[in-house]
Amino acid sequence: MNLTRRKQPVTQPAVGAIQRVIAALLLCALPGATFAQTSSETSAAANKPTPNVARLLKRFDEMYESSGTTAQVQITIVKPKKTRTLRMRMWGKGEDKALMVIDAPTRDAGTATLKVGNNLWNYLPKISRTIRVPPSMMMGSWMGSDLTNDDIVRESSYEEDYTSEFVGHSTDPTGWKVRLDARPDVVGLWDRVEIVFSYDDKLPVQSQFFDRKGRLSRTMRLEEVKEIGGRRIPTLLTIIPEREEGRRTELRYLHVEFDVKLDDSMFSLSQLERRR
Amino acid sequence: MTSTSTLRIAWRNLGRNRKRSLLALGAIAVGQLAFLATTALMNGYGEQYLNSATGPMVGHIQIHAPGWRDDRSIDLTLGDIDATLTEIRRDPQVDYASPRVFAPALAALAEDGFMSMVVGVDPEVESHPRGLLAGEHLSGQIGGHRVLVGSGFARKHDIEPGMEIAVIGQDVDGSIANDLFTVSNVIATPVAIVNNLGIVMSMDDAQDLLLMPDQGHEIVIHVKDRELLSNTVTRVSSLPCLSGAEVLAWQEIVPYIVTIVNFLDVYKFIILFIVFIAAAAGIANTMLMSTFERTHEFGMLLSLGCGPGRLSKIIAVEAVILGLLGVAIGTALGLGLVALTSESGIDYAALGGSESAFEVDFQGLQITSHVFPKINASDVALGVIAVFLTSLIAVIWPMVHVVRLEPMEAIRS
Amino acid sequence: MKISLTTKFAVRTLGRSKRRTLLSVIGVGIGCAVALFLSAFMRGANEMRVQGIADSGFGHLRIAPGGWEKSRENALRLQDGRAELETVRAMEGVKVAAPHARSTALLAFGTRVAGVELLGVDPPAEQAISRVARAMSEGRYLNPGHKGMTVIGSTIAERLEVELDDDLFLTVVREGGEMEYAMLRIVGIVNTGSRDLDATICHVTLEDVQQFTGLNGAGEITITLDTARKVEQTASYLRTVIPEGDDVLTWKEVRPAQGADSKSDQAFMNLFVGIVVVVVMLGITSAQLTAILERRREFAVLMALGMKGIQVIRLVLVEAAALGILGATAGLLLAMPLVYYTATTGINFSAIIGEGTSMSGVLFDPVMYSDMGLWMIPRALFVALISTLIAALYPAWYAVKIDPTSALSLREA
Repeated sequence: MNLTRRKQPVTQPAVGAIQRVIAALLLCALPGATFAQTSSETSAAANKPTPNVARLLKRFDEMYESSGTTAQVQITIVKPKKTRTLRMRMWGKGEDKALMVIDAPTRDAGTATLKVGNNLWNYLPKISRTIRVPPSMMMGSWMGSDLTNDDIVRESSYEEDYTSEFVGHSTDPTGWKVRLDARPDVVGLWDRVEIVFSYDDKLPVQSQFFDRKGRLSRTMRLEEVKEIGGRRIPTLLTIIPEREEGRRTELRYLHVEFDVKLDDSMFSLSQLERRR
Repeated sequence: MTSTSTLRIAWRNLGRNRKRSLLALGAIAVGQLAFLATTALMNGYGEQYLNSATGPMVGHIQIHAPGWRDDRSIDLTLGDIDATLTEIRRDPQVDYASPRVFAPALAALAEDGFMSMVVGVDPEVESHPRGLLAGEHLSGQIGGHRVLVGSGFARKHDIEPGMEIAVIGQDVDGSIANDLFTVSNVIATPVAIVNNLGIVMSMDDAQDLLLMPDQGHEIVIHVKDRELLSNTVTRVSSLPCLSGAEVLAWQEIVPYIVTIVNFLDVYKFIILFIVFIAAAAGIANTMLMSTFERTHEFGMLLSLGCGPGRLSKIIAVEAVILGLLGVAIGTALGLGLVALTSESGIDYAALGGSESAFEVDFQGLQITSHVFPKINASDVALGVIAVFLTSLIAVIWPMVHVVRLEPMEAIRS
Repeated sequence: MKISLTTKFAVRTLGRSKRRTLLSVIGVGIGCAVALFLSAFMRGANEMRVQGIADSGFGHLRIAPGGWEKSRENALRLQDGRAELETVRAMEGVKVAAPHARSTALLAFGTRVAGVELLGVDPPAEQAISRVARAMSEGRYLNPGHKGMTVIGSTIAERLEVELDDDLFLTVVREGGEMEYAMLRIVGIVNTGSRDLDATICHVTLEDVQQFTGLNGAGEITITLDTARKVEQTASYLRTVIPEGDDVLTWKEVRPAQGADSKSDQAFMNLFVGIVVVVVMLGITSAQLTAILERRREFAVLMALGMKGIQVIRLVLVEAAALGILGATAGLLLAMPLVYYTATTGINFSAIIGEGTSMSGVLFDPVMYSDMGLWMIPRALFVALISTLIAALYPAWYAVKIDPTSALSLREA
């Protein structure tokens, strides 16, 4: 009599860390250009006018929109036992090309990741090797991360999948609260998303994601609005999963440039190996 | 006077008709032999099952950092592992203590990466008969950035000895662990996960790769005497170097095997019972037959003045002598057989009629039909009592029958 | 003339010493009964193991794409699954033919994820062929044609913290690397009693898998037959009718580890049946020898009266044969009630084994049945006749050598 145990899928946060970054970068393509909107005039606080939801969402969408982006970011992954901070440079063009290189910590410096279409490669300077991540492990890498596989770039869009409406004022954080409900046939993790926009900047300050049972699953905070790359945008994104003690992920833009002309040839394996 | 002469008469009766006595003796001896052989084989089977089911991976006792077993986080390690191992090895019941490191990783020969599991082991310790590298003479082939790969894994990805393999994973700090290793050999182990996903490297290499000096994820202990396991577990748990660690007996790691082991115990008794019935039938048959065939002889004795009570006593003593001798011979033969085979083992497939000594090679997993018969004093005692009682009970009916004999009729039969 | 005389004499001898005959017949009978019962039980246990494997969804045979046996790649598809399925279902002796297609996938809900192997099924066929599909603890199994529905194991539901009617988010990576997404509604939750097994169960319709993976057709067809004995035969026939490029595999080739276990268990059990049969035979032989030895006088008288040596031998052998046949009959009669009971009601081991144990994905039934059949008759005759005839040989030979005068002397007692 012989026994084999079914093994749990592999956790592979190393690649995951990098992919999370890609996802974060491209997560900015979240709310798209058009929203099917059902406007609703609910009672507003006397001195704060009812917002134009469509315009708010459009602004959110255009916040990071760019034909070519370069950025320098810092990611902090906080777990109960320890905290890890990475600093990296990223380049992105369109929805399917991205390159990033880790600058810090020293141990990981020089590690680079290239995404072209559905393919993902890692370059590891210590062993001077480029390895292609198999599709099966790409899925698995989101386990244990605070970003879900839903956050990866895919052809479907939130704008087509949700209906939006203004639902009132929020006090913590302060601002207009807009609610996006998933359409009945949509394929996605979230039943609804609630976004709070600040009164002054009219920028999103918080997104809350509710799972298909209507439970709050995670909260994303967008803070530290700065003038950067010629735009006024939140530079600190924090993702806090619900029901997981002491865990969060922070993404901070140190430097961003939008609408930069980037050559397609930059997103190639040879470039990958040369980028240090 | 009565007892010694009864004894003498009984003894002489037996001696006078040697063939008859030998047959009865034979039946009893065979019964005892079969009983003992069956017990020994079942014990051997049970042991082998347990060993292969627990085997190198599970061992008898496992030690981890608390919480590691839930999701196998790389950073939940046992610290000061060298010192801890030294302490553990001092315990008289500890046969082997093997440290282990486990980390899922991406592996690649060329550009395409695939899933793998890094297993860090101490090559010398794992070379022992119940270790991961048992009997493979491979301990010299890992260490210094050389690794072994599981045979299923090698087959799937066309890995051959001499190739260079890149291993990428996550170290305890969360950084990206990566390094190059040389494949020195392909191994077949009875452990599925190692066979299908495993890259086996030395503890040192694994600790370097994953940034966990003097640490490990697991310590597997094999004890000398499994009967004393719970005491050993208690003693090991109370070692100061292991305070705060999770120390578990194998029953808690693989509870479903406990069920099967219990089942095997019941099974053993069922088989034993059946063998016993078969033997008892033979013994009883022989004794009864022999007694009834002697009716003429008994008739003679009765008519010559031997009282019926005395006669039955003689018969009883004869049975006792036969019983004791038969059991003694059977036990001697049985123990001899066990002694002969307990070292080298028996291939029951060959005896059972299928192809001799089969070994199934399924992606390198080897399942053999080899068992090592084993016997305890209690097993022998059980057999002795059971078989002896049978021979005694078998003569009760004839004794009763004899007492009621009409001497003249008896002589004439 | 001589023969019939011998027979007549043999029969009369048996009739004359009723007790001896009765004892012999009972002795042979009990021995046979024991051997028969053990054999019946062993055969039953073996068949059940094969059936257990078949019932857990592995079937007796599998039609798989060429090369699958070695590579075990999920993405391979049959040449013409639909046609092959029709062919198989039209065959005699085929109980159920169930098509399958598999794909690795990720299930997610909120922030929880679980990796699974998606199994695409034909719901009615699956329920007929696999106990897993019948072990629903909540909700119902899949209905044919229903898209976007799934049945998952209870362990997965726990991990994802979901219940019936929740919508899971599915990610499948296709061969080219593109991701396919879909929603799956949980219509049923399976609880097999084995946590390990429940962690791997995720069934959807075959059409759904086709849509997700973009690969058309079935990946394999699992077949159960009316009787496990026709496996090889059906396999050979199937090989001639299915297209080139597809293979027909027996369950042993699909699950070699199970095949090896089964072989190994069978050999082990054969060994025990062998031991019991030997013990039984020895017992019978010794009893018979005892009886015959006492009849030397009788043979001497016969020979003095003119019977030739060879006739005496024949006499003894005919007696032995008669006893053998009678004994075999008695054995069959004795064994039948017990065998019948265990064949229909079975022996329930659930007190020891629990409701369901699974090993390597195979569910084992706690109730064990024995096998009843015509094979019992030749087996009983074999055991009985060989024993009695062997027993008769020695004395028959010996009898021929007697010097009648010394045999007749009074001192022989």
